[in-house]
Amino acid sequence: MNLVTIGCSFRDAPIELRERVAFSDSATEKALRELAARYGCEVVIISTCNRVELYLAKPDGERPPDKELIAEFLAAFHQLPSATVQPHLYELADAEAVRHLFRVTASLDSLIVGEGQIAGQVRKSFEASRQFGTTGPMLNALFPHAVRAAKRARTETGISTGHVSVSSVAVDYVRQVFDRFDDKTILVIGAGKMGQLTLKHLRELQPRQILVTNRSPEKAIPVAQGCGGQAVPWEHLDDALVQADIVLSTTGAPEPIVTRRRFDALSAKRGRKPVVILDIAVPRDFDPRIHDGETAFVFNIDDLKRIREQTIHQRQKHIAPAEAIVEHERKKFVEDWTRRRNGPIIARLTQDCDAKRKAVLDQLLGKLNGKLTDAERAYVEGAFRLFQNQLLHGPIDALREASKEGSSATMIDAVRKLFRLE
Amino acid sequence: MGITEYCFLLSYLTSFILELLRIVRPARWERYGSIAFAIAGLLAHSIFLAYDPPSPSSPYGSLLLLAWVFGVFYLYGILHRDPYPWAVFVLPLVLALVGLSFVFTRTTHDGSWFTGERFWGMVHGILLLLASVGITVGFLASIMYLVQAGRLRRKLNPIGGMRLLSLERLERMNRRAVNIAFPLLTVGLLLGLMRMGQSPHDGGWTALKITTTVGLWLVGLLLMFLRYGAHLSGRRLAQFTLLAFVIMLVALLASHPFAPGDVR
Repeated sequence: MNLVTIGCSFRDAPIELRERVAFSDSATEKALRELAARYGCEVVIISTCNRVELYLAKPDGERPPDKELIAEFLAAFHQLPSATVQPHLYELADAEAVRHLFRVTASLDSLIVGEGQIAGQVRKSFEASRQFGTTGPMLNALFPHAVRAAKRARTETGISTGHVSVSSVAVDYVRQVFDRFDDKTILVIGAGKMGQLTLKHLRELQPRQILVTNRSPEKAIPVAQGCGGQAVPWEHLDDALVQADIVLSTTGAPEPIVTRRRFDALSAKRGRKPVVILDIAVPRDFDPRIHDGETAFVFNIDDLKRIREQTIHQRQKHIAPAEAIVEHERKKFVEDWTRRRNGPIIARLTQDCDAKRKAVLDQLLGKLNGKLTDAERAYVEGAFRLFQNQLLHGPIDALREASKEGSSATMIDAVRKLFRLE
Repeated sequence: MGITEYCFLLSYLTSFILELLRIVRPARWERYGSIAFAIAGLLAHSIFLAYDPPSPSSPYGSLLLLAWVFGVFYLYGILHRDPYPWAVFVLPLVLALVGLSFVFTRTTHDGSWFTGERFWGMVHGILLLLASVGITVGFLASIMYLVQAGRLRRKLNPIGGMRLLSLERLERMNRRAVNIAFPLLTVGLLLGLMRMGQSPHDGGWTALKITTTVGLWLVGLLLMFLRYGAHLSGRRLAQFTLLAFVIMLVALLASHPFAPGDVR
């Protein structure tokens, strides 16, 4: 296996360097073509905000470019001094490179373990490289296997259970209460940045209508326009609260804008219609006593953050089983790959021995012509075949063993030389 | 026939254990194993019922038939709605229904359910059985509703541990189940009462089966009123549905006044 991974990640490289060596879509295409042309190797580039990695593979007997060459390439490509790049690069070869890719794809090497984006980013990077014709037999086998291994880790363990952003956790809560959203009204109170991020997630639920209100109407209007909603005057807040099924509150008010008394007065008009209130303002906009767990569900920023922390903590428990799956898949890939590579040498070895056995046997049987019965002749032929099988058992077995350890290249060389298969 | 109640009881139990294991530590083989045992259990259950159908008017027969319906319900759930822990809610019910059937002996029947004279009796029995299915679906939805509402009240991790259906969905499931069950129960009960009127038995009107079925109908009526008249909260409605299920279970376990007693 002639595979190397060379790159830098959030673990060792500062953000200043990562953002300078990152590849845009157009730069990726150019870099892929240049690397493939310059080094005659298969290449895939993974470039995300947390890592830039190059996967390079060459046919047997040829070494892919090393860290020094790639550092020079990256420096030249991004117009940086080589000395600033090389110290932050890591280089992993063969089975270690396979393990690294599988861990990266399964999100075991991510800043937040179990995050769901990386598998898609890896797949996208591979697809781009394949489209530009810079992949070959090695990477075409490696990347789909990495994606499959990641899927196994995700589905067979709890590594990616739950959400780890406050906005996503908020949407999770909403989904626990409501099933359909095409008849629901979302009310946005305030125009904070955090609120807009959560609103972006809530919009994906495709609600019937979105109402936006703010003390300053000039702030409410752009938010409403941005989300296809309707601005409501601040004086009509109570009416909007009666209509709303989901409330997202994110004002900078120093005191609660909806007290329990005010909400109780609205409850009569609301009937028993449930409402989920996502109060992500600090200080809080809604009196926490409004939460009754029956018709009013109030979740504040601390609730959402607590769930986020719990989810991250829970994911930690699933790291070991996910690592075991990745390791199992890595071994399987290395074995499959090297077995595929051993095939031709085993076939040549067997053919060579067959030919030699036949030649010796023909000579012997020629000398003994007429002295042997058919049964004795068959017995001699069988004995020679058995001898050949026993002789070849050792080298073939050693090749298989070496495959499992990922060191079959040396063994193949040894077998070639010992049996004169050049 | 070599198939006994133990065959499907143990298959369902194994499927249940595998599903519990899957919640603690998800693995692909557990899912496949669980599905395989659920299919095996359902197959054995179906053959058992088809080979020698028990009378649905007997506690033994009605429990096994109801368990079979929820065996199908469970299998559908794990095949089509995998993320939800159906096993935790449906399989204990199936196991309990099959387990309860052990208390009763099979009543012999002459295999002439649909002969002219028994036709209305059978319609009555089938309607009540279908109403029982509806009430049991309502019961399951109510249990899940109360668990989900409890989690939300305490602001627990919404998808930590078990992933449940939304409150709105569970409430709708309960509403539909009761809305379908109540008319079936009403017609089934009316047919039963008409038959009682035509061929009165001593003590028939005060038999436990009759009083509990009438009680169940009254609870059903109350549920309808509370939902559509008083607009009661989902939690209260869920609690009343649990009550309806308990009364239904007593009605199922009580001997039918027209059928021989079948306590083991």
